[in-house]
Amino acid sequence: MHAPVAPVREPLIEGHKSYHNITEDLCAPTEKAPSLAWIIAFIVSVGTMTFGLFCLAWTVWFGIGSWNLNRTIGWGYDITNFVWWIGIGHAGTLISAVLLLFRQKWRTGVNRAAEAMTIFAVICAGLFPATHTGRPWFDFFMFPYPNTRGPLWVNFNSPLLWDLFAISTYFTVSLLFWYTGLVPDFATVRDRAVGFRKKMYNVLSFGWTGSAKHWQRWEALSLVLAGLATPLVLSVHTIVSFDFATSVIPGWHTTIFPPYFVAGAIFSGFAMVQTLMIITRKILNLQQYITINHIESMNKVILLTGTIVGVAYLTELFIAWYSGYLYEQFAFFNRATGIYWWAYFGMMACNVLSPQIFWVKKYRRSIYIAFLMSIFVNIGMWFERFVIIATTLARDYLPSSWSYYTPTWVEIGIYLGTLGIFFTLYLLFTRLAPVVAVAEVKHILKSAGDQYIGERTKGSQGSEAIHESAH
Amino acid sequence: MKQPSKEMWVSAQDLRNDPELLAAANREFPETSIVEDLGKEGTMDRLESSRRDFLKFLGFSLGAATVAASCEIPVKKAIPYVIKPDSIVPGVASYYASAYVDGGDFLPVLVKTREGRPIKIEGNAISPMTGGGTSARAQASVLSLYDTNRLQSAGKVENGQVAAMSWDDLDKEVKASLTKGGAIRLLSRTVISPSAQAAIAAFSAKYPNTSWIQYDPISCSALLDAQEMSYGVRALPSYHFDAAEVIVSFDADFLGTWISPVEYARAYSTGRKVKNTKSVRMSRHYQVESFMSMTGSNADHRIMVKPSEQGAAIAALYNAVASANGAATINAPALNDKAKKAMTRVAADLMKAAGKGLVVCGVNNLAEQVLVAKINALLGNDGTTVTQNDNSFQRQGSDKNLTGLINEMNSGAVGTLIVLDGNPAFDHAQSEAFRKAMAKVGTRIACAGTLEETGALSTHVAPTTHLLESWGDAYPKKGQFYLIQPTIAPLFPVRQWELSLLVWAESAELDNTSDQPYYEFVKKNWERSVYPSQSGGKSFNSFWESSLHDGMLLVSSAPSAGSNSADVSSVASGLTRPSDGEEIQFFESINMGAGQFAGNPWLQELSDPITRCVWGNYLFVPIGWDGGNDYTFFKGLEDGDRVNLEINGISRTVTIVHQFGLMPGTYAIALGYGRQTVGKAGRDIGTNVQDFLTVNKNGYASSYAVAPVVSGKVGRDKEFACVQHHHTMGVTGADPKTGKTINVDEKTVATIGEGYQGSLVDRSIIFRGNLAELDQLEEKIHEKREEFQNLNDKTLYPSYDDVYAMGHHWGMHIDLNACIGCSACTVACMAENNVPVVGKKEVFRHHEMSWLRIDRYFYGELENPNVVYQPMMCQHCDNAPCENVCPVSATNHSSEGLNQMAYNRCIGTRYCANNCPYKVRRFNWLDYTTADLFPANEPRLNGEEMPFGADNLTRMVLNPDVTVRSRGVMEKCSFCVQRIQEGKLTAKREGRILRDGDVKSACMTACPTDAITFGDLNNKESQLNKDLESPLVYQVLEEVNTRPSVNYRARVLNRDESLES
Repeated sequence: MHAPVAPVREPLIEGHKSYHNITEDLCAPTEKAPSLAWIIAFIVSVGTMTFGLFCLAWTVWFGIGSWNLNRTIGWGYDITNFVWWIGIGHAGTLISAVLLLFRQKWRTGVNRAAEAMTIFAVICAGLFPATHTGRPWFDFFMFPYPNTRGPLWVNFNSPLLWDLFAISTYFTVSLLFWYTGLVPDFATVRDRAVGFRKKMYNVLSFGWTGSAKHWQRWEALSLVLAGLATPLVLSVHTIVSFDFATSVIPGWHTTIFPPYFVAGAIFSGFAMVQTLMIITRKILNLQQYITINHIESMNKVILLTGTIVGVAYLTELFIAWYSGYLYEQFAFFNRATGIYWWAYFGMMACNVLSPQIFWVKKYRRSIYIAFLMSIFVNIGMWFERFVIIATTLARDYLPSSWSYYTPTWVEIGIYLGTLGIFFTLYLLFTRLAPVVAVAEVKHILKSAGDQYIGERTKGSQGSEAIHESAH
Repeated sequence: MKQPSKEMWVSAQDLRNDPELLAAANREFPETSIVEDLGKEGTMDRLESSRRDFLKFLGFSLGAATVAASCEIPVKKAIPYVIKPDSIVPGVASYYASAYVDGGDFLPVLVKTREGRPIKIEGNAISPMTGGGTSARAQASVLSLYDTNRLQSAGKVENGQVAAMSWDDLDKEVKASLTKGGAIRLLSRTVISPSAQAAIAAFSAKYPNTSWIQYDPISCSALLDAQEMSYGVRALPSYHFDAAEVIVSFDADFLGTWISPVEYARAYSTGRKVKNTKSVRMSRHYQVESFMSMTGSNADHRIMVKPSEQGAAIAALYNAVASANGAATINAPALNDKAKKAMTRVAADLMKAAGKGLVVCGVNNLAEQVLVAKINALLGNDGTTVTQNDNSFQRQGSDKNLTGLINEMNSGAVGTLIVLDGNPAFDHAQSEAFRKAMAKVGTRIACAGTLEETGALSTHVAPTTHLLESWGDAYPKKGQFYLIQPTIAPLFPVRQWELSLLVWAESAELDNTSDQPYYEFVKKNWERSVYPSQSGGKSFNSFWESSLHDGMLLVSSAPSAGSNSADVSSVASGLTRPSDGEEIQFFESINMGAGQFAGNPWLQELSDPITRCVWGNYLFVPIGWDGGNDYTFFKGLEDGDRVNLEINGISRTVTIVHQFGLMPGTYAIALGYGRQTVGKAGRDIGTNVQDFLTVNKNGYASSYAVAPVVSGKVGRDKEFACVQHHHTMGVTGADPKTGKTINVDEKTVATIGEGYQGSLVDRSIIFRGNLAELDQLEEKIHEKREEFQNLNDKTLYPSYDDVYAMGHHWGMHIDLNACIGCSACTVACMAENNVPVVGKKEVFRHHEMSWLRIDRYFYGELENPNVVYQPMMCQHCDNAPCENVCPVSATNHSSEGLNQMAYNRCIGTRYCANNCPYKVRRFNWLDYTTADLFPANEPRLNGEEMPFGADNLTRMVLNPDVTVRSRGVMEKCSFCVQRIQEGKLTAKREGRILRDGDVKSACMTACPTDAITFGDLNNKESQLNKDLESPLVYQVLEEVNTRPSVNYRARVLNRDESLES
């Protein structure tokens, strides 16, 4: 990561940090007692998680009948939330792998948290396909294991099976990638720790000594994993979109789905990263590592992907009209004007219209607007999945079978529960590992630290906060 | 004791040498044995346990836990035959010819039994009356046999509670009452059994102060009286719908509930089927009614009149016919203009088809029935479509006799009242008066099989057997004798009422030494009265055996025209005068009858063919359109809102449902609901509107009321259970902006803004046309199918057609013109395939499980639309979208073209159901069949203690050939794969190839109109392939390229388009 940087680039590390400063700043959250805000957030998260697990147990005990799905609408909150979480889980790999390969230095500020978020989001996502089945205790039927029933094999034609492979692969690679990045940082924490923490981090860091050979192997592994992970960024959500695209249901059976879903996933993933990073940098006092420049970069990606998604929506409408296929036309007409028109409206407003505000640099660099927009996008992308799933099923081919769907408290509870799981894991993560990749930030210090390149740009771009902390 | 010196101590007591401590220290085994301890007072409070005790406790706990845990394991009894009965081969079904009788309703049936359990009703195809057709009620009757609410012994009734008593005690008490003096009155619904009539005669001979009154809950009294007045016989004529080219029905639901609907539907459908497009003949059907009945839904034209205008409409038709035939006209009451204009067209049509028309009337008004009979006579229909001398005896009741009985009871002259059959305290127009009069009768005996309203008000119950446990016979029509034989020994110590009468009469003909005395009685009765009329020269025994085998004996009874001698002018004053205000029609629904099926969950859960609502009766209110983007709803109410309905000061809260084809200013609601004294499944389901019924001034029960007051919304039915939310496929109206006719439903389908034209009717779901433009319909179907098939051929995937061309390839053909919506197939499917009942709340959540549903779409004019019924089940697609999406291959395709479900493999992702374009897959959301070990997720029907099917009695109805599905598993129509298998095995055993007709699906055999043909597509000679030759055949959603195995034949009406103008 030592590629020369054009001096016009804005600094990515502010406050004239020395290597030692970086170590101190980034390891601090794992070493101090948690703040009151953290404790409250943790209690709320664990509480929500507990309720969610209760609702899951309820579902397994009483059956899927405790949800409000029906003969017409076989998927509702379950798969909506699954796709939503999987989409959120996309940003991590994209930031880590694709941006690594593209040598985007600004990724170092956010990649660690984004990768963690990916893993936690995939855990949340995986809960839904596992528990939405009528007989979850037979979920193992989905694995192609040798058996004495014939042997009875799984159906390799089924997109749900592809899903299983795609998601488990994605989870494995993401976890490895994340952990690989953590190894030198765990070693840093270990070197500063005493007692039990020293032992724990010693184990976690696999006896990292920081030798040149270690660094060389580490760099090679990172690159190999990045190479492996990059196609996954495209494949996972492509395969998730196949769940719908390979069906015969008008509104699902759409060839545009793979790119549309991938763009949507990156869009929602970046939004979630944005939400988390804006809070994290404030609370953990990391403004100098996750700078306004980082936020602006993310907003640019959000603007781009949001616009791609918008083009996809419009393409769908156009193709529906252009196809001359009655069912397709009705499906899309119904999305916009039918019983779930409000969901379509919410999706359009949040995903397509509101991100257009980021054409203006001032708004791109506003923390408040960035935060608000990230929430909007999260909501909008949830609506998108709901529109695709529930609205489509509610009005398909035979008008006699049309129905309506509203979730029960159990379904809402499980959704909240996954939010609880996600934040519980994230909060634990902020306490146990450096939220910003220490080693990687150190890598770019010489090329992106403000004391090295910042003199020219600081006067014109630096915010008040940067001025203050620079002294 | 010497004070020892202490260098070490462990406690203060130790240090100061506490004597207690020392004593304890000197004892080697400080614990006393538990036996000694137990003997001491108070030791139980602080029992200490030793190692041995611990072992004891452990042993006990383990044992107790084992016992307790093993209690939860359901005990499954499988007892082998020690000596196998000759007639039973385990695993092979036996069929017995019998008959289904419910009052005057009659169907010849075959009862399927497995290992001695009747589990399914089939039609008896050799009957000339029904040709093997069945009804939903007959199909469901087998479930009533296993009703947990059946009375299980004779009993004495006090305050509505039954205290069991022995039959001997009951007989003693009854006989004492019979001999005490006071008039004895027997009350029953129509009895068509000659042997039962003989039993009643024997009883009357013993007790001469007896008289027997028959009534019909849905009365045909006026029709019978009109017959007597016109033809001199108080019996129903035979109607020949097959011979009729023009059918006019005044409020007679002859396809659904009127007199003999299966017989009529079968005949009617022969004149309605359109096989090809060249030189087609089809009858034209006019229905004159206020609300859309099932029969009206099949009509080409519905002429809407208020219930009170029926007389005026009949008089208008009579006058038009009479003046053309030179007969005297009568003074007709005023009729609404639209109907008046229509009636002149109807009259012209009828006269054009003179001798081939048929006018029927279901109104219980003497004058109107006399006029209708006269119209048929004037048109020359007597002898062709209406015949005498082959009369039907299916209705014999008399409203006047019932009124007379109530008066007699009120006068205190009746000492003993025996209600043989029926539930007169609930099921007819005078039930309230009857209830009050009952109190004046000393001994009241009810013979029903379950405790009903009548039984609860009686002094004794003498519960009768279920039909499937009984011997009997039936004489529904002149020349047709039928036998009823039991297919199972009575499940409880109960006695059929015919036998009770003979016992109480101490009849000499009763052979008390016999195991089955009533069997001997029936046999003797047949020897005496039926045997002489046969003409085969057989001995009685062989005659009896063959009659029992066939279930019937047919003797010729030549139909005649009769001669109508009624004087129309003398009765004309009895015509109903139309009222000015609003009116409400009460009608019999196909499920509930007069309430006798309230305890039958299969019928409660059967959706009404028109409203598609279940578990209740709903007040029909009109729906309109004012040219905007939404329908206009009655008083702004939504379906499922509760309102108060007040008539003559009686107020009831009812749930409303908007209904197309309802005459503005009228309402309608089904009878038979809201029962209180019934098995819990039926208790308080719907609203009791029985008390709104009245008897008119001529003494006939009236089926409508005037001046109903319907309030605004007073509440909401939180479980409004309707299986179809969208009801239309192109109802039209005039666009107020352009004046052009547009599809209103397509305009109103959007929630915001308006929908676009063509969004519903252009779907390839229903193809329909009019007889006059049959060529256009043929061309349209041909064109569309060609386009679809052209599209479908553009595929990259290999074709498996050569595989399916080998062996069998099962397929189906459904004639939408023959389907009348009667739902017999739906109930037959539930019975055959162990389809669970889920209850009202679950249906409200659209969790109904029916494998075969009948979709109903309204189309045509918004105010007065037509209807098409579309039976919809798994289409067994050869390119099935459900199959390739299942991750575990739980649903797959057989080499015979069947889409199969491996329930054990299914994990319940529901992906298949989502991907099914026909939405026929059904998921076990909860444990509907009580198949799980833990009972937490079994929904209860209507608050019952046990889930439906949890008790062993109800489970006896299960078909052992079909797996009972557990929760979390997907299921759907299997094309009755168990029947296919049975057919193949039989053919194999007999060493022959499978013939066409060897395998018939349950829906096919149940259908009264032969609308469904199941068969082998690879058998070129099969009936199925013959049916598929019609150019009107299409496949639903063919362009999706699912390659369904089910084919439909287009809906054709025979409308006279000039009638609208």
